[in-house]
Amino acid sequence: MAPILSARHIRKSYGAFVALRDISLDIPHGERHALIGPNGAGKSTFIACLAGQLSGVEGQMLFKDENVAALPPAALARRGIGRTFQISRAFLQMTVLENLMAAHVIASGRWAALSRRIYGERIDRAHEMLVTVGLADRARDRVADLSLGDRKRLEFGMALVGEPELLLLDEPTAGMSIKERHGLMDMVAERLASEGRTLLFVEHDIDVVMKIAQRVTVMVRGAVLAVGTPEEIAANDEVQAVYLGGGH
Amino acid sequence: MTDPKTLWAAVSRAALNWKLLVPLAVALELFNRLSPASSSTLLTEVAILALFATSLNLLMSFGHMVSFGHAAYFGLGAYGFTLAVTRGGLAPEMALLVGPLAAALGGLVFGALCVRLTEIYFAMLTLACAQITYTVLFQWYDVTGGDTGITGFMIPRLGLSETGYASLVLGLVALALLALWMIVKSPLGLMIRAVGQDRARAEALGLAARRVQLVAFVIAAFFAGIAGTLYAVLHGSAFPDYAGLGLTLDGLIMVVLGGLNSFAGGIWGAVIYEMLSNFVPKFIHQWELVLGLLLLGICLAMPHGFAGLLARLGWRGGKGEK
Repeated sequence: MAPILSARHIRKSYGAFVALRDISLDIPHGERHALIGPNGAGKSTFIACLAGQLSGVEGQMLFKDENVAALPPAALARRGIGRTFQISRAFLQMTVLENLMAAHVIASGRWAALSRRIYGERIDRAHEMLVTVGLADRARDRVADLSLGDRKRLEFGMALVGEPELLLLDEPTAGMSIKERHGLMDMVAERLASEGRTLLFVEHDIDVVMKIAQRVTVMVRGAVLAVGTPEEIAANDEVQAVYLGGGH
Repeated sequence: MTDPKTLWAAVSRAALNWKLLVPLAVALELFNRLSPASSSTLLTEVAILALFATSLNLLMSFGHMVSFGHAAYFGLGAYGFTLAVTRGGLAPEMALLVGPLAAALGGLVFGALCVRLTEIYFAMLTLACAQITYTVLFQWYDVTGGDTGITGFMIPRLGLSETGYASLVLGLVALALLALWMIVKSPLGLMIRAVGQDRARAEALGLAARRVQLVAFVIAAFFAGIAGTLYAVLHGSAFPDYAGLGLTLDGLIMVVLGGLNSFAGGIWGAVIYEMLSNFVPKFIHQWELVLGLLLLGICLAMPHGFAGLLARLGWRGGKGEK
């Protein structure tokens, strides 16, 4: 299947420190792809590059055959690249429903902010999303009062509102219990599979990776060590030596 | 775009949210009618400053943009109106619209520069833009009259009595505040709050954050321009100080006194500040000392100001986002 995303020779440095060394990666349409590796491997930096958050990134990033490497985050989002953050970043002082409505208004185009009609039409869809992410009974609560797990669910819902073709999740289950992790990622996988969307996610929980991912890229010290199916990665001696066998 | 039915529903909702302020408006009008003329003038100034502070509060509490130069748009409103009468030959009644539009235009030009930066750099740039405005008004004698300003070009208050003009200003300010309230509660207000709370998150969702900030900046400038215009009409004059740092600081103090993160904060702040500055000096010569102590107490003990205190006491009219 043709790749929806092709990263070509991505390099990123902070002064003398090289965070990413010539990363090339193809993600086919509809694939659930995991990025794993030890801390400091450059996984989150790579996600941040793909999301347009970093300047001074070398290389090409082809999204649906268009080089989008120099585009800012908002432009990437409008082209179909959605994301969540490693540390949950919903709008803390708004209610849960307002967060989803903000995502809906943004996704509805630049003039939607001037239209109460569009706002009114999107409220039902926002409530449907609340049911999907399991927050139907928290609609009127402030996000600041939610648990970490609920915030992550909300953030996922907000990212889905824009119907992204490629969803980037940076450690979506960090800080959650084992049960919460599997619950969230099962929901994510089910939703994305049913809609044929592509997922690229950074994850430390190997059980979650093995269950959810169709392919896995292992990164070490800013470079790609191995790419393959979960089974191939699990059987890779080099990966076992530097990551999977290293206490995980 | 908004159809009449949804617009009416929005107005109704806003009016309901303001039901506690309707008795206040009636009381103010009664006070205006029954009190001496000097009290009507004070009431007019309080109303004008409440609008000015609320326009600043739109930026600060909802957009999380701290402006150190908001008086520039008050001044542009005052001079826009004044120059439209003196240079443009418009009747004062016709020129009333020119002031706010001049302020909005100034907000568009300066805002386009300021929203390129964030936090303290944003604040410093707003200050720089305001100082440029002040300097032009202060030194361009041929057009602005320089430090002596422009006076005597019209009968103050459009020829109305103190009481009559106070009624007009109360009505216009009430409408302007209602419009600002509807903006805050509209989808656009939601976008302004989103960018204010987490710009990176908003951008990751696809929002052009700078554009939203610029729109908020222009709206705030427009309403500050209305305040400036009404002030110029009140006194029948315009002075560079209308765009000076002193008025910006007054506005900032009003917002902090009244309550950050609350729509009503600017209104309460203007009322408290004007009461203090008019009545305390009759008893204590150094009234600024009282103001300083009050600010100190609010910053330390009541960071959400007077509106926050009301919210804590359970009055929803003072409640805002925390």
